[in-house]
Amino acid sequence: MFSLLGAVFLGWSLGANDASNVFGSAVSSRMLKFWTAAVLASLFVLIGALLEGRAGIETLQGLTALTLKKAVISSFAAAVTVTIMTFLGLPVSTSQAAVGAILGIGFLNRQINVAGLGKVVACWFGTPVGGLVIAVIIYKILAFVYNRMNIDLFESDILLRLALIAAGSYAAYALGANNVANVTAVFVGAGQLSVFAAALIGGLSIALGILTFSRRVMETVGRKLVRLDPFSALIVVLAEAITVHFYTVLGVPVSTSQAVIGAVLGVGIVKGINTVSRRTLTNILIGWFLTPVVACFIALALNFAINLRYVPEG
Amino acid sequence: MLSFFFTKERQLETLIYSYLENLGLIQKQFVKALNMCLAKGVCDDFQFLADQTHKYESRADDIRDEVNMLMYSRALIPESREDIMGLLASADEIPRYFELILNLIRTQKILIPDFIVLDIQELIRVSMESCDLMIKQIDVMIKKKEGIRALLSTIDQNESHCDHIERRIISKVFDSDLDPFLKLQLKEMVVCMGEISDQADRVSKQVNILTMKRRV
Repeated sequence: MFSLLGAVFLGWSLGANDASNVFGSAVSSRMLKFWTAAVLASLFVLIGALLEGRAGIETLQGLTALTLKKAVISSFAAAVTVTIMTFLGLPVSTSQAAVGAILGIGFLNRQINVAGLGKVVACWFGTPVGGLVIAVIIYKILAFVYNRMNIDLFESDILLRLALIAAGSYAAYALGANNVANVTAVFVGAGQLSVFAAALIGGLSIALGILTFSRRVMETVGRKLVRLDPFSALIVVLAEAITVHFYTVLGVPVSTSQAVIGAVLGVGIVKGINTVSRRTLTNILIGWFLTPVVACFIALALNFAINLRYVPEG
Repeated sequence: MLSFFFTKERQLETLIYSYLENLGLIQKQFVKALNMCLAKGVCDDFQFLADQTHKYESRADDIRDEVNMLMYSRALIPESREDIMGLLASADEIPRYFELILNLIRTQKILIPDFIVLDIQELIRVSMESCDLMIKQIDVMIKKKEGIRALLSTIDQNESHCDHIERRIISKVFDSDLDPFLKLQLKEMVVCMGEISDQADRVSKQVNILTMKRRV
């Protein structure tokens, strides 16, 4: 069980950080109580992990051959990377950290599934673009419908609130289904866990992070994001959920944060406003490039440190 | 249909409509009091009607407090809360002007000279029309119906018309040989009367902006 601690820590930090992408705007703007959001997010993350987590787990565990020791190194390296990047204030993708760490192990093994890696990297590029395109499309469709609905201000408010809860729950489902692989896939590759057990443990650890440590992140990160009107916030969450779910079906873990940024940019395009600052974009690009590289080096360094042996002279 | 599940929102809707209804009642009392003053000066009937206006004005404050309390208990989404609280705060300036005008007349015992009575009646009539249209415009905004811009345009025209009447009355007052102190008293009163249509116009523009903001 000790070998799973790194994975549980990674899942916990993923839940604590990424819950803000799901219910952050609703909680920080007090549209939804934190505990309602946290319970819904935890529940749907777990359901998502159990129902659709398999594809991502199979992709990640197939990137290279893993032993239990290397799986532990990999998940620990990913967790340390996420912690360092968060400490530096850079936007971090747990998916990129997990893949970077597995790559580090792959370099050691001198065996990497290039086709699988290519698919994953292509999807990383596709995530913000997908978020943007989907946001533009669903904004236009839903705005057309919303503007023609014969409902008063109060009903429209109720509708928006319910839609935001539904979209947030769907986004939590997509988060669980997509990102559970980052947490426990390496242990499936090492033969330590079955796919179901990996999904269950991964889902539970993400849910634990949401329930125990996401409050501050939800309340502050939600406010740090650009202030969107309720309809645009709904579009962003929905576009993020659809994008992440799409990649879940493809079996590639992606970053919910990058999907959100793409969706926010998409809303900006439709509304003709600048929704994301140049500085935020620069930070995202830096984080995007650095995360897998740092995780890869940390995995290599950890492996080197663990394999050091004291050899007495003479 | 959805509102069955959201009792706070239903309560809020009822309160906002009772606020608007009460605004109409304050208007009626104010007009009655002012007409009484124009006909008989500061008499007991005028005092009674001025008190009645104050009573309705206090009720408006109570309703607004209830609306705010309900808003703080998380009825509606934050953006709508902010919008509605701001809108009611602006609309609430109008009963304040009604009370101010009646208090000016009552406390300073202002005698309105005959040569401006017709103009004052005209100013009040147009201002009240603006208030009625403003209330209608808020209703249209809440019910998300068409016609906000047409109402905005009429209220804007009324405001210009009231400005014109206000200038005319003040000129007449200062062209007359009234006591200079009374001239200043009348000027203050007429400026306050002119503020009613100005405020109705401000609220109307706010409603228009809120409507545009809510369109997605």
